[in-house]
Amino acid sequence: MTISREQVAAFADGELVGEEARAVAAAVAADPALLAEVEAHRALRARLAAHFAPVMQAPVPDRLRDAALQDRSAEVIDFAAAAARGFPPRGWRVALPALAASLVLAFLGFNAWQDRHYAQGPLAGALDQQLAATAPAAAPVRVLLSFRDGEGQFCRAFSASDRSGIACRDERGWRLHDLQAADPRQASTYRQAGSSDAAIMAAAQAMAAGPALDAAAEAAAARRHWRR
Amino acid sequence: MLALLPRLRRFAVGLVRDPVDADDLCQMTIERALRARGQWQPGTRLDSWMYRIMRNLWIDETRSRGRRAATFVGDEAGLGVGASGAQEASLGLADVDRALARLPDEQREAVLLVMVEGWSYKEAAEIVGCPMGTLNSRLVRGRDALMALLGDGA
Repeated sequence: MTISREQVAAFADGELVGEEARAVAAAVAADPALLAEVEAHRALRARLAAHFAPVMQAPVPDRLRDAALQDRSAEVIDFAAAAARGFPPRGWRVALPALAASLVLAFLGFNAWQDRHYAQGPLAGALDQQLAATAPAAAPVRVLLSFRDGEGQFCRAFSASDRSGIACRDERGWRLHDLQAADPRQASTYRQAGSSDAAIMAAAQAMAAGPALDAAAEAAAARRHWRR
Repeated sequence: MLALLPRLRRFAVGLVRDPVDADDLCQMTIERALRARGQWQPGTRLDSWMYRIMRNLWIDETRSRGRRAATFVGDEAGLGVGASGAQEASLGLADVDRALARLPDEQREAVLLVMVEGWSYKEAAEIVGCPMGTLNSRLVRGRDALMALLGDGA
């Protein structure tokens, strides 16, 4: 099989799938010249990435921050108007009454502190499978809403008996952010779904690059296993 | 939107090179996006929508500049990749900015979107508004030119 230069480049970019990917991988493995070509593509990508990396680290100038922040106040207003119109952010519409229900069965024995950075066990399962729009109010882990962050990753705000937080799906799994422990005095019995959930919702709004996913977008993301 | 700003700045500086011009382009993009907010479909990606806005603003700006410049300096085509070998050799072999600046706009944006911004070919084609095959061939040509300009040790 003859491998075109476009195919080699696409292979280096991870763009090929299935039979074509296997064929090119085999050809590259068998041919040092092709392998060198793949490596040259990757080296170029790495060099370009390194060249532009400082921009990502640099502080954002105030004028841009201010321009974007006008959006924040506008977004809140939009949000209220949207809710009045029955506009999509259904995750919120369903989650808020669920919060109002406010009493959540507390105890559950998941062991997620094992890994401080990634969700484990039932929490990971709920993040994978539960849809905010249909989450039962008494579920041990409730997903409050889903959104995308500035990197395009899917993130989900959740509330459980012993803690609440935000989890964003990266290559390894659900990375945890903004964890808050539940009040230990409440953790053994019932918990008021109140202040900590509100704090998580605020943190989610700050991280989100756009409004919460609606039920259809959430279901579509779940089918893709929350991959970007 | 705040969370997107570092990425938008990176894309802008790749497109226009000059950091002040790049931040101007960012600011125009933010303002345009806020005005056009109603056109964004909730549930779709905000980031690719904003990249598309930035890219279109940049094209508009480049075209109007091109027209202005053409009246003074003649055809800009001479600044493209087909420069003489001697000039290429004097490029210092290391300067990514200068190498990128020598690519035709359509190749530069393809290279930036895929190799710096990390979009898939399909997503990059959607941002640019061209077929995937077109994007792919611009990318290949842009890459070849960069490798030639930067030397094999890219």
